[in-house]
Amino acid sequence: MTPAGARPGGGEAARVGWFPYALIAPAMLTLIAVGLVPFLYTVYLSFHEMRHAQIGDWAGLSNYRALLLNPRFWHSAGVSALFIATAVPLAFGLGLAGALILNRGICLRSVIIPVRFVPTMMAPAVVAILWKIMLAGSWGLISYNVIERFGILTGTSVLASPALALYALVLVDVWQWTPFMMLALFAGLQSLPETPYRAAAVDGATALQAFRRLTVPLMMPLMVVIGLLRLIDASKVFDTIFLLTGGGPGTATESVSLFVYKRVFDFWDLGPAAATAVVIWVMFFAFANGFYQVARRKLGAF
Amino acid sequence: MASIKSLAASSARSKESEGASTARPGRSRGGRRRALFTALAVAWTAVGVFPVLWMAVMTVKPEALMFARPPVWAFTPTAEHVRHVLAEGFVWNLGRSLVVAGLSTALVVVVGTPAAYAFARFPIRRRDDLLLFVLATRLAPPVALVIPFYLIYARVGLLDTYTGLVLAYLTFNLSFYVWVLWSFCRDLPVELEEAARADGYSPGRVLIRVVLPLLRPGIIATSVLCFIFAWNEFLYAFMLGGKAVETLPVAVPKLITSQGVKWGELSVVGIAALAPIAAVVFVLQRHIVRGLTMGAVKG
Repeated sequence: MTPAGARPGGGEAARVGWFPYALIAPAMLTLIAVGLVPFLYTVYLSFHEMRHAQIGDWAGLSNYRALLLNPRFWHSAGVSALFIATAVPLAFGLGLAGALILNRGICLRSVIIPVRFVPTMMAPAVVAILWKIMLAGSWGLISYNVIERFGILTGTSVLASPALALYALVLVDVWQWTPFMMLALFAGLQSLPETPYRAAAVDGATALQAFRRLTVPLMMPLMVVIGLLRLIDASKVFDTIFLLTGGGPGTATESVSLFVYKRVFDFWDLGPAAATAVVIWVMFFAFANGFYQVARRKLGAF
Repeated sequence: MASIKSLAASSARSKESEGASTARPGRSRGGRRRALFTALAVAWTAVGVFPVLWMAVMTVKPEALMFARPPVWAFTPTAEHVRHVLAEGFVWNLGRSLVVAGLSTALVVVVGTPAAYAFARFPIRRRDDLLLFVLATRLAPPVALVIPFYLIYARVGLLDTYTGLVLAYLTFNLSFYVWVLWSFCRDLPVELEEAARADGYSPGRVLIRVVLPLLRPGIIATSVLCFIFAWNEFLYAFMLGGKAVETLPVAVPKLITSQGVKWGELSVVGIAALAPIAAVVFVLQRHIVRGLTMGAVKG
């Protein structure tokens, strides 16, 4: 697991003594300044009363109590949970299917892969424009030709429907991130060893058996790592929701990110906002740690 | 040496697997299957890319036909939307985006490259904790970070400045760069560096003369991804920027006015923001997977 040159003998280590630390110092100091300091400042804010962006008295845990008693916070947590629970598995399933198809040695692979990858690399602002065109009013391309034609919803946009707006956002997210899942899983499939599959073919295993008994177990660590990464990103989703629905109609699509945003920049309710930020920060650290441990121990990636 | 060998092995394996899955089960059956899967993949790609193409068409579609029922496929193109976008000065937004993304990427490469190399090569105390800190900074939710940034910037006068935005972008880009380039550094063969050392090179000279040239593909791939992230970024630019550093993504909401949405102009801005990204995707496809999975998948 440790890189080949990590332990270059005692004398050598003494000779390079300060050198590696000089190399990492600029980067680590910068990251402390732009990452750790803002975090600690947020923690500090979350324990104080905030009035009109002025730091007031020590407030103890009252900001956290206000947050936990706020039904709107729990509503936004539910919205985020529903969003993640539908968007991530859908993108994962479609991505896996795509990866298995790509892995069949199809023609045009070198064209299909980059073309399919474009949505993933698109700016969220552009994604929002695109889907506004598709889903706008009752006259957007999909609104009129699909949604109205099949009588799902008439006279309005799905993005203005309290019941369906969140699923429209899920669709957008799945559209954007399926290619990422596909390519990451495809890269994993390409690096699987050949021998077990030969042995399985000799034993007369069907394709489905080979998939269940070989592909799934061999790919498991990679799938966990990719899934976790996507989970982290999906729970941060802000831009597309902000630009497509702004959290509405009402609070129907107000995810945790939008909840925090509105606390701060609409209501100047900084104390509880800081408390929320700290809570999600801690949650993210737990996710990041999970990703790190699995990728390191099971995948030998780091 | 090692990397060349493994590259050759992997390309041989992929060729072999392609051959195996196509040629084995009888010619005609395999051929038909292959055609079927190809058709499936092409159809699936078409569905995925269709909205982008539709938007591209809308950049030259006359206003009256945009949402015609049923949709109009043939029309005389108009340059009206492009002209409006140019007249309203969106070229400046494009320029600002270039400056912010370019500056922040350059800074990241200068500061991050030595760190990534050091993490891969030298015994550093508490290395794992430091790396986890780097990763956590990368994965931190931006909406939580933008609060302290906004308050601190308001106090020190960094709101709506290039410096402020470039510094804020370091949070996610520097951590990303160090983390992913670290994965490229671990793939470098150590023998060349050892030979250079034996020839009496100082550690600093080894880094500049031996490591940097070998690492160039990794540096280019990772820094281009950093550029894309900065180019695409919305939340920081929206909150910490303003009139002076209004980047292209932030200009989008301006076109959604109370009088209605300027669809043609939105499409033009969208395509302008997308074009460089699409070009990059074609050039870098393998490295993108590695970058986006934080080095967990070699691509």
